[in-house]
Amino acid sequence: MKNQPIPLGRLLGYVSKNVLLGVYVLFALFPLIWMVVLSLKPDSEMFNTTFVFHPTLENFQVVLTRADFLGALQNNLIICVCAVILSMIVGVPAAYALARFQFKGREDIAFTFLSFRFAPEILVIIPLFLIYQKLGLLDTYLGLIWVYQLISLPLLIWILRGFFEDISPDIESAAQLDGYNWWQVFFKISLPLVRPGLVAASLLCFIFCWNSFTFALLLGGGHTQTSTVAMNKFLASDTVHFGWAAAAALISALPEVILALLIQKHLVRGLSFGAVKG
Amino acid sequence: MATIEIEGLTKFYGKRRGVENVSFTVADKEFLAIFGPAGAGKTTTLNLIAGTVTPNRGTVRIAGNSIDGLEPAERNIAMVFESYALYPNHSVYENMAFPLKSPKFRVPDSEVKERVMRVAKMMKIDHLVDRKIQALSNGQRQRTALGRALVRNPQVFLLDEPLSHLDAKLRHSMRAELKEMRSQLGTTTIYVTHDYLEAMSLGDRIVILDDGQIQQIGTPDDIYFRPANTTVAKLFGDPEINLVEATVRKRGDAGLEVQLLGENSPVAVPQSLLGTIANRDKLIVGFRPADVEILDGTPDKKSHPAVVYSFEPLGTKSVVTLEGLKGSRLRALVDGRKHFEADRRAQFRLAPEHLMFFDADTKKFIGRHNSSETEDL
Repeated sequence: MKNQPIPLGRLLGYVSKNVLLGVYVLFALFPLIWMVVLSLKPDSEMFNTTFVFHPTLENFQVVLTRADFLGALQNNLIICVCAVILSMIVGVPAAYALARFQFKGREDIAFTFLSFRFAPEILVIIPLFLIYQKLGLLDTYLGLIWVYQLISLPLLIWILRGFFEDISPDIESAAQLDGYNWWQVFFKISLPLVRPGLVAASLLCFIFCWNSFTFALLLGGGHTQTSTVAMNKFLASDTVHFGWAAAAALISALPEVILALLIQKHLVRGLSFGAVKG
Repeated sequence: MATIEIEGLTKFYGKRRGVENVSFTVADKEFLAIFGPAGAGKTTTLNLIAGTVTPNRGTVRIAGNSIDGLEPAERNIAMVFESYALYPNHSVYENMAFPLKSPKFRVPDSEVKERVMRVAKMMKIDHLVDRKIQALSNGQRQRTALGRALVRNPQVFLLDEPLSHLDAKLRHSMRAELKEMRSQLGTTTIYVTHDYLEAMSLGDRIVILDDGQIQQIGTPDDIYFRPANTTVAKLFGDPEINLVEATVRKRGDAGLEVQLLGENSPVAVPQSLLGTIANRDKLIVGFRPADVEILDGTPDKKSHPAVVYSFEPLGTKSVVTLEGLKGSRLRALVDGRKHFEADRRAQFRLAPEHLMFFDADTKKFIGRHNSSETEDL
């Protein structure tokens, strides 16, 4: 085999394609890069427009030791994990019912779930605040876990519904005839079949909950301060510590990045199947 | 002993009729075929028996015991679905072992393996048992689905168009295999199909469903030679039966003749039917394409003139569509070695003993030439 020279036209196309992709990657990742840079800058060089600075880990040190940021991270973790688990417990049966059973108002109910995601949170926060105040749910884990259902439940139901619709009812009938009752069929056959969807949906739910700010700010408090709210405290009116905030944001983003990398395969498959169709 | 008795089974999906008032019985070890066009309610009937669909009315008894309201798992029925309904995330072995590991039909682990392998061998898929379902061809999937039904000993087998997704060649060989298997198994079986050849070759008896209602129940011969009405006659047989309107006239003193296809050559009404036909003046006469004989020679008294409208060679046989004098078209099945040019003149003859007579209004079967009994349904 001789090495044939690549035609110039194709070579140019190859190079320009990669250059363009590189530019896009830079564009997309620039905020992240900017954040990393900020987190490594000392306060004195914060507003320099050049990329030359004296890197320091002081910001991380402050965030991790002096401010109670780790506590806020822990709060966020507890609230988000519990919220996602609660969403799964409620949402999986709901999605199954919306996919399988013919009942009156099925589409209306499905749409109502979806519509929870339409309105901005700030729109409902005042009545919610008053209700929470009356119920004594302000600044409690339960209160935040509950209100986070507004974020995670519709997402989970809508993604999983598509997955359940993809399972042929014949498969469930076959399993029933093979000697299993409804519950056994559900756990042995149906649930394993929607697992990619469940993984993708719960990860997305987790990310949305993790990043939620409005609810945590107004319905949370000293006990249940989440990392998003805690970060904001570094940008007070008198002292503005961009470096601290950047370091905190980086630390806070870490779990999401790790989770997403771990289940990347499921994520792509999960979101490209089922969910995209009506 | 597992007879199946079905009484007045009715299922409506909203306003749409699934099946209405379906009643039939299946004897122990009988192989019953349910035949009908798409949307006739065949699968609904099976689902009602299997318990995966709940009827509005009606009763199903297996071996004399009512199974209404029982969960599908408690009915001890094995079913092969049209879509095969295999568990996609399991291997062939796991699919076939699934019923044997269920709480209802559990057998010891050692026996599971033995039984699955025995059936796999019988289905000729024993070399595939470790494959995932996605890696199987359609024919192999079909065998796996059949195998999953065969591993346990159900009271009743329900087969829902198991061969319809196979290519023509495989379908023929599987039909032969099924036929052999049914004699080995000796289990009461209901077999749903929309292929009349399958129904005829496999069924001890055939139930004809159309639009959710039973049209006829009978042996393959009954249904082919004495169809209960024109609908059944049209559904059974390919190419489709010829149905022409005919008028009844007196012949001589006591006889009657029917005149079909124009003025020429009336056909005498058989003696056995004189009584039933006497008070009618219109009839529908049916005859199978194979019973139309195209003549080579010159016209005679009993032949009819026509023009060849189209010619479709099918190998051993050819379908010739003839256009009669009144513009009516008839299908004829002729020997594949003969060739007919379109627009050519032709003479054809009908043997009176092959004619079937139907009522012009109700479309019901009245009788045929060489059948002594008259069915008045």
